[in-house]
Amino acid sequence: MYVILVYDIGEMRVARMLKLCRKYLNWIQNSVFEGEITEVKLKEFMGKAHTIMDLDNDSIILFKSREQRWLDKQIIGVERGPVTNFL
Amino acid sequence: MKKSYYLFNPVRLSRKDNTLQFTPFDEQGNEAGPCRYIPVETVSDLYVFGSLDANSALYNFLGKHGISAHFFDYYEHYTGSFFAKEYLLAGKMQVAQTRHYTLRNKRVALAQKFIEGAAFNILKNLRYYHNREKDLAASISQIEKYATQISATTEVPELMGLEGNIRQTYYAAFDTIVAGFTMENRSKRPPKNELNVLISFGNMMCYAACLDMIYHTQLNPTISFLHEPGTRRFSLALDLAEIFKPILVDRTIFRVLNKREVQPSDFATDLNGCVLKESGKKTFVKAFEERLKETVKHRTLNKSVSYKHLIKLECYKLSKHVMGIEEYKPFKIWW
Repeated sequence: MYVILVYDIGEMRVARMLKLCRKYLNWIQNSVFEGEITEVKLKEFMGKAHTIMDLDNDSIILFKSREQRWLDKQIIGVERGPVTNFL
Repeated sequence: MKKSYYLFNPVRLSRKDNTLQFTPFDEQGNEAGPCRYIPVETVSDLYVFGSLDANSALYNFLGKHGISAHFFDYYEHYTGSFFAKEYLLAGKMQVAQTRHYTLRNKRVALAQKFIEGAAFNILKNLRYYHNREKDLAASISQIEKYATQISATTEVPELMGLEGNIRQTYYAAFDTIVAGFTMENRSKRPPKNELNVLISFGNMMCYAACLDMIYHTQLNPTISFLHEPGTRRFSLALDLAEIFKPILVDRTIFRVLNKREVQPSDFATDLNGCVLKESGKKTFVKAFEERLKETVKHRTLNKSVSYKHLIKLECYKLSKHVMGIEEYKPFKIWW
């Protein structure tokens, strides 16, 4: 499954959330991540995210897509974090 | 599914916040460009072609996550791997595998299977191009003749000789399949021309892929059947690669050359031999990676499996054979 994750997290907790996201997904823009992830890994991630979040103030929005090729992605301006495995 | 990462540019890889931090740097060792993070949970293995700067903290971390790093030198030779601690140890399997190596008839029987699979897949390649207006009838009948002799062999060196003959006939047919490049003879260390470079480079990628799959099974990569198990090398990967080289490597070579994805300008010939330039390496590795990810419908499992997974299934079949559960049948391309 291919996901796009955006978060809005309070200043106190945002650094922890950033670090957690980096482990599972590719950073593409401030508070936006995307990448291929399995169902189980996503569950594992969500479990950890819950321990960081304050559910009354913070939010995570997840866009799911079955596969990357069904996502029409356009970049206008600078691509800040390209997603590639050829480095 | 976890991905392989291919590192071409000089980088410093370090452990940062329990994930991988990736900092490009220039020849002077100064940082060049902003650092990036690789999500560690998505990494299956690293293929290192450029220079990698790393410390033991990183290797400890890679080891914990079961990520292996494969290294290749400037001339595209496979030089070695960093392997995480074996996590699927099985003494029983080790003993069974060794017994199959030491008993001559058992070893020859297995070795024959590898060649049988390789010859079948080679023929499939040739027939494919024969049906596309390339005249390969002579090579096909020659290899078919060799293939019938496989079951008559009683010694491993004899079998290796036969395999050599098959390969020689096969490589001679490359001239017909690929327009614009000539093969001449198979040359190594260093390869003399473009086709030889691609074969060497591709084979090496195939060895690394096989080795990586063996690592995820209980087989011991140092005990092989067709190739002589030497020291300091993982020869079982060479055995397995025999079957997959025609499908993974040779088909990729035909594709990149016939579609002109790799051009003569991607090679440097000013040296004693010929080497692939950075641009050529990248294109080839990309095509190879796409090939590994490609899926086919498996007939007995009744689901889609990738070529990479086919290698793993081959390992499972092999382990079943040595444990005496089911006789090993080499993978033969069925489409």
